[in-house]
Amino acid sequence: MRRGRAVMKTLVLPSVGVCCGALVSGLGHAQAPPEVFDPAYSPPRLPSGKPDLQGLWSNALVTPLERPADLADKAFLTEDEAREYQAKRVEALNRDSRPDDPEADILLAYNDFWWDSGTQGVRTLRTSLIVDPPDGRIPELTETAKARLAATPRPSADGPETQGLSTRCIYYATAGPPMLPGSYNNHYQIVQTDDHVLIVNEMVHETRIVPLDGRPFPPETIRQWRGSSRGHWEGDTLVIETRNRRADTPLRGSSENMRLTERFTRVADDVLLYEFTVDDAQAFTRPWTVEITSLRVEDGLMYEYACHEGNKSMYGILGGARAAEREAAQWE
Amino acid sequence: MMRGACAVAALALVAACAPTAAPPAAGTASAPVFARTPDGKPDLNGIWQALVPANYDLEPHEARPAPLDELGALGAEPPHLGVVEGGEIPYFAEARERQRRNYENRFELDPERKCFMPGVPRATYLPQPFQIFQSGDHVMIAYQFANAVRQIHMQDPGPAPTSFWMGWSVGRWEGDTLVVEVTKQKADTWLDRAGNFHSEELRVEERYTPMGPNHLLYEATLEDPKVFSRPWKISFPLYRRLEANVELLEFKCVPFSEEILYGHLRKGYRGREAE
Repeated sequence: MRRGRAVMKTLVLPSVGVCCGALVSGLGHAQAPPEVFDPAYSPPRLPSGKPDLQGLWSNALVTPLERPADLADKAFLTEDEAREYQAKRVEALNRDSRPDDPEADILLAYNDFWWDSGTQGVRTLRTSLIVDPPDGRIPELTETAKARLAATPRPSADGPETQGLSTRCIYYATAGPPMLPGSYNNHYQIVQTDDHVLIVNEMVHETRIVPLDGRPFPPETIRQWRGSSRGHWEGDTLVIETRNRRADTPLRGSSENMRLTERFTRVADDVLLYEFTVDDAQAFTRPWTVEITSLRVEDGLMYEYACHEGNKSMYGILGGARAAEREAAQWE
Repeated sequence: MMRGACAVAALALVAACAPTAAPPAAGTASAPVFARTPDGKPDLNGIWQALVPANYDLEPHEARPAPLDELGALGAEPPHLGVVEGGEIPYFAEARERQRRNYENRFELDPERKCFMPGVPRATYLPQPFQIFQSGDHVMIAYQFANAVRQIHMQDPGPAPTSFWMGWSVGRWEGDTLVVEVTKQKADTWLDRAGNFHSEELRVEERYTPMGPNHLLYEATLEDPKVFSRPWKISFPLYRRLEANVELLEFKCVPFSEEILYGHLRKGYRGREAE
């Protein structure tokens, strides 16, 4: 199995359509956000009175981050369209198909037991996770960010440091923050106490500990791969702000000045609405906002993903490059 | 309310406590005072750390030099009388031989050096803090070292489907003690820097008991029919970290370990001798 020792292969959640009946009438003017969730919903609460967000959630969703070009004018799907789109995505992502071309076949060595892209789109039936800007696309990068991206060296097999952070099991953009649907390890688990929230990502067993006690951020000189997070409640919404990331964990071109605001709201027993806004004037020409409907996993457990401990990829990649160099040298 | 071990015993068996000096009357101030969660359990939430230098060696040891001469006194190991009840770990003879070989080669072999998740109980006495999260039946422990984490399953999750670096932890309350049974650990982890080790059959029973608002008594009984001739126990206090600004920070040690793991595969590498 890929690098890790233990894999969570999830339960396939049945597609649930209860929320979406009202959407059919929205066909003609699909740009208005449909009323998907019951505004009168009241979440279960902890003894402290705060909404209970605890337990296991999944971001295994087939909805793309950015709106595909062929849906440029369409922010929402109808229920039928969503079903069709999801089926198409599931088919396209199926790695159990065996192409005749051996090289293409080898590239499918991780089969569908490994991958876990999900079978559903977001419950809001949006065509992209990005809800702002209204075109569902990441805003244009600033000239500074473009120049920085252009100057960033591509990963090479010269040594461990020049490999990508995910290959090195140091940082995965899907665990973030912010969290994003990925092709595997989409689960996260929340534990809440009166003064802290713990978010554990299945991906690389990342743990994010968020103080809620109003303490200041650490000094800006203390940079972390995942930044530092501080949280507070706004009504029934948990709000987490994150700053002070290292410069080498950019999100789609972001800078180390990125300020991230995440909002967690339990909008149904089985849905945690997860929104985040990326604010980084140095990198993006305007802020952008994502909306994800994380799905409850009732009958599952999250297992340890020991990425570094089982990392055979680094030996393969670096060792392979050295072997190729030796072979080339023979012919010089 | 009296919750101390001696006090509980006193209720059942007066004679057991009689020899101690001036036994307090029931309900006096000698019972440990600590916070409780809304469900009445001891509140173990917070950032804790062991002060005992058990990570160098669980067994009694004199001061000794660093495993690498170049480190000088920087890496020298402080002396300690050990945390093992009875002093020595009851190894089978062959297992003790292996521990000695581990010790001789500890600089090469210790998985801590490679930034591998430490396993249990070593995670508890690494010289780094950890944080307990306890909210009803949702209990997790997050460790600063290698951002290791484990869930304490307070409801039986059934058998573990495989083994894990941090094991499979099932918890229950016995009075005011959180008892955690840890099984299914990988044989790859060590118990300390001295090469003390275990097999994949290791079973650990951990006990976390409040001693007061800022101290926990940590006890762990280790059982491994392949390595130890009988179960044995370690115990020491855990201290609450009280600095106003204390929080777990990132100790992502993968980059610190890459040179020793992959350095020989670096472009242009000509072997350690050539350097």
